[in-house]
Amino acid sequence: MNHFDENDLAKLTKLCRIECTEEEKKEFFKSLKNVLAYVDQLQQIDTEGVPPCNQVLETLKNVMREDIIGDILPRELFLANAPSHVGGMIRVPPVIKFNSP
Amino acid sequence: MYQLSATSLHELFKKGELTAVQIVEDTLKRIAHHDPKIGAFLSVLSERALDKAKALDQKRKDGKHTGKLAGVPICLKDNIHIKGELTTCASRFLSNYRATFDATVTRLLEEEDGILIGKSNLDEFAMGSSTENSAFHVTKNPWNLAYSPGGSSGGSAAAVAARLCPIALGSDTGGSIRLPASFCGIVGFKPTYGRISRYGLVAFGSSFDQIGPFTTTVEDAALFLEVASRRCEHDSTCLKLPPEHYVQKLKSSLQGTKIGVPWHFLEDLPPEAKKNFHESIDVFKKLGASIVEVDLDLLKTSVALYYILSTAEASTNLARFDGIRYGLRSARAATLDEVYDFSKQEGFGKEVKKRILLGTYVLSSGYQSDYYQKAQKVRTLVIAQVRKAFESCDIVAMPTSLSSAFPLASIQEPLQMYLQDIYMICANLVGLPAISIPSGFDKEKRPLGIQLLGPQMHDADVLRFAHAFEKSTDFHRAIPPLFRE
Repeated sequence: MNHFDENDLAKLTKLCRIECTEEEKKEFFKSLKNVLAYVDQLQQIDTEGVPPCNQVLETLKNVMREDIIGDILPRELFLANAPSHVGGMIRVPPVIKFNSP
Repeated sequence: MYQLSATSLHELFKKGELTAVQIVEDTLKRIAHHDPKIGAFLSVLSERALDKAKALDQKRKDGKHTGKLAGVPICLKDNIHIKGELTTCASRFLSNYRATFDATVTRLLEEEDGILIGKSNLDEFAMGSSTENSAFHVTKNPWNLAYSPGGSSGGSAAAVAARLCPIALGSDTGGSIRLPASFCGIVGFKPTYGRISRYGLVAFGSSFDQIGPFTTTVEDAALFLEVASRRCEHDSTCLKLPPEHYVQKLKSSLQGTKIGVPWHFLEDLPPEAKKNFHESIDVFKKLGASIVEVDLDLLKTSVALYYILSTAEASTNLARFDGIRYGLRSARAATLDEVYDFSKQEGFGKEVKKRILLGTYVLSSGYQSDYYQKAQKVRTLVIAQVRKAFESCDIVAMPTSLSSAFPLASIQEPLQMYLQDIYMICANLVGLPAISIPSGFDKEKRPLGIQLLGPQMHDADVLRFAHAFEKSTDFHRAIPPLFRE
């Protein structure tokens, strides 16, 4: 069943938004292929009519709370960890790169 | 002082024979002298600890009530938040991140006057079984510095084994408390899923993760559990039940109890581990327990299930580390997309990247039913088989691991490392309480451990069986030679 190939890895790195070096791609491909081959053993287990596990705890059901404001994270605390901020907001580079004319 | 358990230290503090400042100063001195050998700590909170100690001594002087952990220095794995202190998760991504809130467990420990002494090393984002995946440094096993302390909570385990502090916290997703406990010759306990709030624990696999203690005695683990098992409104999976009197319940006899052993599942145990396991079972027989065979053959799928389900959950949990709001943001990034691509490239280590990729793959369109859904169905079957086993026994016993600690840098192939967890993943798959306690030494004097698992909510039973074993043996008293002064 395992048909994982280099194209799949390329698509994956795009999906995960992780830029990988060529050396990393080679290593990751080998590791992932090994692990996927190993987990193939699950196909041998008959799971006809078996529901997927939803909750590990027998007692957990529909845990709800009132829709009221609880803890608030103060802005200064939040911004203290921000890589870049201006006017109380997080600053990020532009979505589209503008080339100089 | 370093040989005292948390319970004994606390008694001496209460009686006035030791002050909190004396205890903390002695602890800090020991850490400064011994930690360079093993690298258990990522940060030592000297000023904070001394301030808390002074305040605690004043509290006692003023005749005010002091808590159950008063005077006890405690180390936290560096994926548990202390507000205002660094939480790095041993990752370059978070090397400068300061927690904006206290974990619930942090708050509970401090409410009982426990003194937080430092943050310990781990495999990056708790992904690993050897603490070699830390982005900062490798922690060494106090019993033999060329060997791994196990992982991912290796720093906490090493700190307690070297008697740098009597209690340290870890987190256990697939054995990350129990394996280092076994490798380092100490007690490591993973409570029932939901028994301790996960609020403030940086999430790895949300249906697997649980915080738990490393201690030198089972009694100390029980004391910790009494303090930490409280309902928490911030964690919807946290039990709403009050804690039990875990320390009091340690004392009951094992006469007439039944211990289940899955002999068939354990048939591939290497000879030394097998011998030690049989000897441990004999101890339980002498204590009055009878041994019954149980069928847990489906556990052979543990590693496969774990590396599908926990990586799937991790891929979601780690998506928040994107370089936008906190953590590393790549200096190379000139566009928004590059913030994501390059920050993750530079911030995450290889093992973390692999697991995010794997987890994304098993959840992706076209593959989700073959991998993720299939694994969740097999998980249902495993849960049913384990529940059936507990119909014929009170506790299940297994070795913690295939062997004693392995040498550092000896396991390079990921799958080989993953297979180290084979006996432990069961407890996380099913949400069971499980403990590893010292059960002897191999030919090279490296510690071995035995693992006890109970049904959900039966933390008190797991602890009392472990306590009985400890009282009949001496293994827990052994201190690694390099740390005996």
